[in-house]
Amino acid sequence: MKAGITQVTQLPRRRNDDSVRPAGAIVVSTLAGAAPPGGAASPAGAVEVGALDGPTLPVLPALGELLPGGLARGSVVAAGRWSLLCLALAAGASVAGAWCAVAGVPQLGVSAAVGVGLDPARLLLVPDPGTAWPQVVASLLDGCELVLLRPPDRAPAALRRRLEAVLRRCGSVLVVAGEWDGAQARLLVTRQEWAGIQPGHGRLRARRVLVVADGRGAAARPRTRWLWLPGPDGSVGPADQTVLPRRDLRDAG
Amino acid sequence: MTTRRVTTAGLPPARVLVLWCPDWPTTADPDAARAFEPVVSLVEELCPRVEVLHPGACAVGARGPARYFGGEEALAGKIIETVTGGGFACSVGVADGLFAARLAARAAAPGTATVVPPGQAREFLAPYPVSVLDSEELTELLPRLGIVTLEDFARLPASQAVNRFGAPGGAAHRLARGLDPRPLAARPPAADLSVSVAFDLPAELAEPVVFAAKALAEQMHDGLAARGLACVRVQVQVISADGQEHTRLWRHDGLLSALAVAERVRWQLAGWRPGSASPGGITLLRLVPDQVVRAHGRQLGLWGDAVVSDRVARAALRVQAMLGHGAVTRPVPAGGRGPAEQATLVPFGDARDPERPPDRPWPGRIPAPVPATVCRDPLPARVADGTGAPVTVTGRAQISAPPARMSANGGPWLAITAWAGPWPVAERWWRPQAARRRARFQLVTEDGAAWLAAVQDGRWQIEARYD
Repeated sequence: MKAGITQVTQLPRRRNDDSVRPAGAIVVSTLAGAAPPGGAASPAGAVEVGALDGPTLPVLPALGELLPGGLARGSVVAAGRWSLLCLALAAGASVAGAWCAVAGVPQLGVSAAVGVGLDPARLLLVPDPGTAWPQVVASLLDGCELVLLRPPDRAPAALRRRLEAVLRRCGSVLVVAGEWDGAQARLLVTRQEWAGIQPGHGRLRARRVLVVADGRGAAARPRTRWLWLPGPDGSVGPADQTVLPRRDLRDAG
Repeated sequence: MTTRRVTTAGLPPARVLVLWCPDWPTTADPDAARAFEPVVSLVEELCPRVEVLHPGACAVGARGPARYFGGEEALAGKIIETVTGGGFACSVGVADGLFAARLAARAAAPGTATVVPPGQAREFLAPYPVSVLDSEELTELLPRLGIVTLEDFARLPASQAVNRFGAPGGAAHRLARGLDPRPLAARPPAADLSVSVAFDLPAELAEPVVFAAKALAEQMHDGLAARGLACVRVQVQVISADGQEHTRLWRHDGLLSALAVAERVRWQLAGWRPGSASPGGITLLRLVPDQVVRAHGRQLGLWGDAVVSDRVARAALRVQAMLGHGAVTRPVPAGGRGPAEQATLVPFGDARDPERPPDRPWPGRIPAPVPATVCRDPLPARVADGTGAPVTVTGRAQISAPPARMSANGGPWLAITAWAGPWPVAERWWRPQAARRRARFQLVTEDGAAWLAAVQDGRWQIEARYD
């Protein structure tokens, strides 16, 4: 019996471990109560564990002035066409420990999502929800705090009302990459310029965008803000509009 | 521990036959699990109650079938003949207890069997290194203490093994001595711990059954936990509308989450051979905890399952029930140079390692920031220079002329205001079918959009957009 045993391999081991990261791994300041002045409320404040218990979901500090108080639970936020802005809107809730789902975006760049702060361990993707997308979104809203949806077409009014009813019941937030009549808040990228690249020189380093936010009720007055989206390290940060992008400086010299 | 050791110390474990397919991937790949089902069916034709250890290995109690076929060698030969006849390479081991039988199966050459006579498991195991115990702590610690083989380990007094290494050490010590890792349950469970659900409308699809299985598994776990018990195996019994029954045993060891049990049900349904006409829908699903033992408090969190909250799991399962198993995915960061390679999408409920580890340098990787839109299939594009001629890149990464305008996917021509590149990449040249040489460019067009383009074999493609 012992003869013939030339080598012994290890018994197979079930590999099943997810890459689980604790919720506090990423540093972000949460928005509680009044709007923080200039995003400087807590420069290095860690995520509060209870940040998801309130009536709003937190947003990234850079978006704080555009969305004072964060994303109201049960509301719809329209973010124009699919862009990094949609992911940035979801990132604040994700770092605070919320589950996020992305439906209808087969071309999602996962690394970019991680770059703006979304936690891939708490991310569900439904790339092709097909014609049953309203049911899919309703199911996802039931399980996740935030659902990012790119609807295949403009949703009819009856459908919108049904999904909004689900939203109010579940207390989650729907971020729509597209148009949504009656959205509580609307954000749009109106201008964008890339820094770090010239004809034949350099490379893409950062993008400065002008984001306009308006909405209904308390959010009715439009607010504009320059943001780095993405910044040089892939994250989102406020961009001072008096500072000229590097490209212009180089042109002058 | 000590009292139980005394009562069962001398009792040899039951004879076990293990069938091992050496070529099977040992990952938790569900496709591998489904593909293993035909092998199990072949074995089941010869002996009842086949237990799937993991895809690629299954076990049966050898005593009864051996008596029927006239000896363990005859039984092993019969099984090898049947499974090999089905087109699967395999080897068989028969020994006292599962642990020794498993090693015996691995020791046998493909198409042969190793039979360890009763009572000789300890001698058979003696020369093996302690690493076969599959415990990281022991594998690391024991060699440092000068204990290299199972023989050395078995020579330690059992009480000291338990004192020093706790309950897992005690179980490992029993294994090394050729005994069962857990003392046998002294009495059968008093209450019926099985749970079942009947489908009034026979379920034609697997998804609703899997959905129900998760709730059922939770119910079973709650029932076991309330009595401080865990089951070594779980028996999944499915009855179809036309009266067919399909039963399968799955290794549990008190470690599977409800979701993992539901996954086993999915594998079982997927592997149910539809040869005998249509089963006509499923009317009953029953989970029976098999070989109930005292729970030793293993944590589910070790496997990361507990991190997915029930609410999320329910939502994901419901979407999977609508669209199919692969429609809901979770991203796992992976390594790679192109943007499309930097994540692996894993169906919800599966666990899979990324094909390429992310923590390697990956020279030539696209520098940050990363694009938010990554085309699943690269879009065809045209890039022209100032005169309207297509821009080409030579083998030495020289461009024919600066790119002046581009058109993506047959769209309108856009003037290029800034560009960077070419960044040549020659990947996997050692594997001709996967090799590729391409040069990447970053292009910024007049509308402010930024693109990641690549030229390969003279053709331009859009790989991603910096939306």
